[in-house]
Amino acid sequence: MRKSIIWLVCVAALAALPHLLSFSQQEILVVLVINILLVVSYRLMTLTGEWSLGHVVIMGVGAYTSALLTKNLGMYVPVSMILGSLMAAFVAFLLSFPLFRMKGFYFLIGSFASAEIIRLLWKRFRDPFGGPKGLKLIDGLPDINIGPIHIDFFEPTHYYYFAVIVVAACLWILWRIERSLLGLTFHAVHWQDKLAQASGVDVRRFRTLAFVLASGFAGVSGALLTHYIGTINPNTFDVELMVFVLTWAIVGGTATFYGPILGCVALTVLNEIVLREMGFEQARPLIYGVVMIASILFLPNGLESLVKRGVAAWQGRTGGAGAKEKTP
Amino acid sequence: MTTPLLQIRDLTMRFGGLTAVDKLSFNVERGVIHGLIGPNGAGKTTTFNAISGFYKPTSGDIILRDESIAGLQMHEVAHRGLVRTFQHSTLFAEMTVMENVLVGTHMEFPPSIWNALSRQDAHDRSGAEAKAMEALDFFGLTGFVDTLAGELPHGHQRALGMAVALACRPDIMLLDEPFTGMNPEETKRMMTLMQKLREAGLTLLLVEHDMHAIMGLCDNITCMSFGKLLAEGSPQEIRNHPDVIEAYLGGARHVA
Amino acid sequence: MLELLVQTGLNALYSASYISLVAVGLVLIFGVMGIVNFAHGELFMVGAYVVVALYSQNEVPFVLTVAIGLIFVGCIGLLMERTMFRPLRDNPLGGLVASIGFLMILQALASMTFGVRMAFVPPVTQDVIEFTDKIRLPVQRLYVIIAAFGFLTALWLFLTRTRFGWALRASAQDPEAASLQGISITQTARIAMFIGAGLAGVAGALTAPLISVNPHMGHSVIIAAFIVVIVGGVGSLEGAVVASAAYAIVHTFVTTFYDGVLADITGLLLMLIVLIIKPTGLFGTADRA
Repeated sequence: MRKSIIWLVCVAALAALPHLLSFSQQEILVVLVINILLVVSYRLMTLTGEWSLGHVVIMGVGAYTSALLTKNLGMYVPVSMILGSLMAAFVAFLLSFPLFRMKGFYFLIGSFASAEIIRLLWKRFRDPFGGPKGLKLIDGLPDINIGPIHIDFFEPTHYYYFAVIVVAACLWILWRIERSLLGLTFHAVHWQDKLAQASGVDVRRFRTLAFVLASGFAGVSGALLTHYIGTINPNTFDVELMVFVLTWAIVGGTATFYGPILGCVALTVLNEIVLREMGFEQARPLIYGVVMIASILFLPNGLESLVKRGVAAWQGRTGGAGAKEKTP
Repeated sequence: MTTPLLQIRDLTMRFGGLTAVDKLSFNVERGVIHGLIGPNGAGKTTTFNAISGFYKPTSGDIILRDESIAGLQMHEVAHRGLVRTFQHSTLFAEMTVMENVLVGTHMEFPPSIWNALSRQDAHDRSGAEAKAMEALDFFGLTGFVDTLAGELPHGHQRALGMAVALACRPDIMLLDEPFTGMNPEETKRMMTLMQKLREAGLTLLLVEHDMHAIMGLCDNITCMSFGKLLAEGSPQEIRNHPDVIEAYLGGARHVA
Repeated sequence: MLELLVQTGLNALYSASYISLVAVGLVLIFGVMGIVNFAHGELFMVGAYVVVALYSQNEVPFVLTVAIGLIFVGCIGLLMERTMFRPLRDNPLGGLVASIGFLMILQALASMTFGVRMAFVPPVTQDVIEFTDKIRLPVQRLYVIIAAFGFLTALWLFLTRTRFGWALRASAQDPEAASLQGISITQTARIAMFIGAGLAGVAGALTAPLISVNPHMGHSVIIAAFIVVIVGGVGSLEGAVVASAAYAIVHTFVTTFYDGVLADITGLLLMLIVLIIKPTGLFGTADRA
């Protein structure tokens, strides 16, 4: 009962949120929702212990695929989005063969190199990728008219609701995976791959599975983005965005499901709302950099560790048992 | 006469120019505790790693029941009923005791995306937890279910490593120096547990440096020296075997 | 055709010179501290902006600005070591992420001080050595080649002939062993950081009149340096120099005969292939991270 009330309040808050914001803030909100899916899917990949620098380009694979399918084949947008996601997963599957020969630092560099190659291919081949200028006038979601209800997805608020529903569905799937025996296996592969393998876990297969799944959801976020902003080019998915994703994950912390979401929301609010309103436009990367270094130095377990400590303190004060903190 | 559970035939392991194991052959009978002993550097651990799939043998064959497992990877070997433990306390230190043993039930309850998203997961999980509890119960660890494995006392960590292996429901368990770092009392308790495992029908192959520790425990012993088979037989035969005495004394003299 | 080949070879020699200066510093820092310094391309950028600030805007002699570039960027390296890499010594991923944060800070500072557009740097000399009609080597490029040769030789002498150099090489193998010789880990880290950063600064300063100076110029340099470090073998200084030459030749030739993007793709593919067949690089022995 109490749980369903909390859920209702959350849904109501999410529904009301865009109406409290200005138009430009609404636009940022849509991108924020998409980025949340991006960073949570990134965390799924890090669960097995490998940190990739190719996630954003994989997202771009979803974006390019979905955009090209609608532009060139006139495909219905929601279908193209699903195919875009599948394409991202498929590309990740192909990349897993060379990449999972590497580990740690080498995997990081290898993922960066292969992603950069994909990005340069978009740049090199005008047909079909549009070269450095990319793709323009990408179809949005078609309008929906049911009797008196008229939904125009060029309206940020409307697209926001669509994005929230899609992202919530994806997050639910990711959450279920994390909590399942599958998620447990991912953790096992991360912490002690030799012991996992001796227990019959095909480590390579589960690493690949996590990579492919994470990439599929990154593809969804790419498709969501492309049909919202309507124009993409190779620089939309450059290293800078990858650095942001990395920062969100690290500032938020990756030990919990909500950590990266926390990092993404906190830094986006800081970045877009606070800094932009205060007119620090040019200094934004500077402050981002400082926040990044400061959080690595002084909050190595991320914002989530603050939440955990807060919860523990609160439980301790109200005399609740089980205020034991679990170190990540 | 039945065929042995595990047959090692002419196993050879070479690393570069170094031959760590040289044409080693021995059999492990079903339902026994079999010891693989030898002085330091005899190639025991290398043999062990080759059997469990950690290394790929340079040549020779390893036959489990009537199937060759030489060159298979560790998880493939595990699926065929041979499970190993590791030296020291190799565990998922950041996970709870229960979660550790749940990894051991991986083969019986294979996870997949579809299971994760359907009701099957809850069903699998309760089944897996029941099996895990059995294994924990066997090693007297049921009181530590929610403890992080890294925070367990050392002796219990060793037991947990074996519980993970037991949860895999193997036919044969390979134990890598299971008594290292244990005090006499812990050693004694561990021996009792091993005998219980044998009574439950498991075959155990253990690698041990200290031959006296396992004399009373093993049914058969294979002794190695410099990568080669030195002697095999019952503990009495090994204890009185002149070559074994020479190897151990020679080794001791060498160290001194 | 032969003339074109020779000319492209000369161009490659020039690229190899400054890339190897950057890459050698990257290898030194990774070898001694175990940290992948993603901000290394931005140190190169800062070196170029030292030239913009002193030589273009205030007419300080070029040679002096290069020397100042070396010391200034070297000091930035010391700053990085003190504020980030020393506290994060046991956390290689943390060090890497912190270096990305530092990269963003340097980029932002450069664009706030000098603007995001390309900065103009007047040529030091307009002289060109003409071997034949089609084989020409601008003297400015020759300076870069000579300076790189000089600095690499000096580094080599330092590493092989001095006690500190020996400690540096030892601590790349085994930090504990080096500290037994009375030279602390912190000291070797400081030296490595100063030299590594300083070399990147010198490379940036030397090439500033020849390439487009902007706050994002570090990007392509760091990619080239990564390729070189991987192909040359992580932790191998000699490998980095050889790989710089190999990479510069491939890249320059593909750029000349096809186009620049394809050259970038070729370079990255080269690195991926090396990573696939031998994850520690062709010449490398180090096995860290």
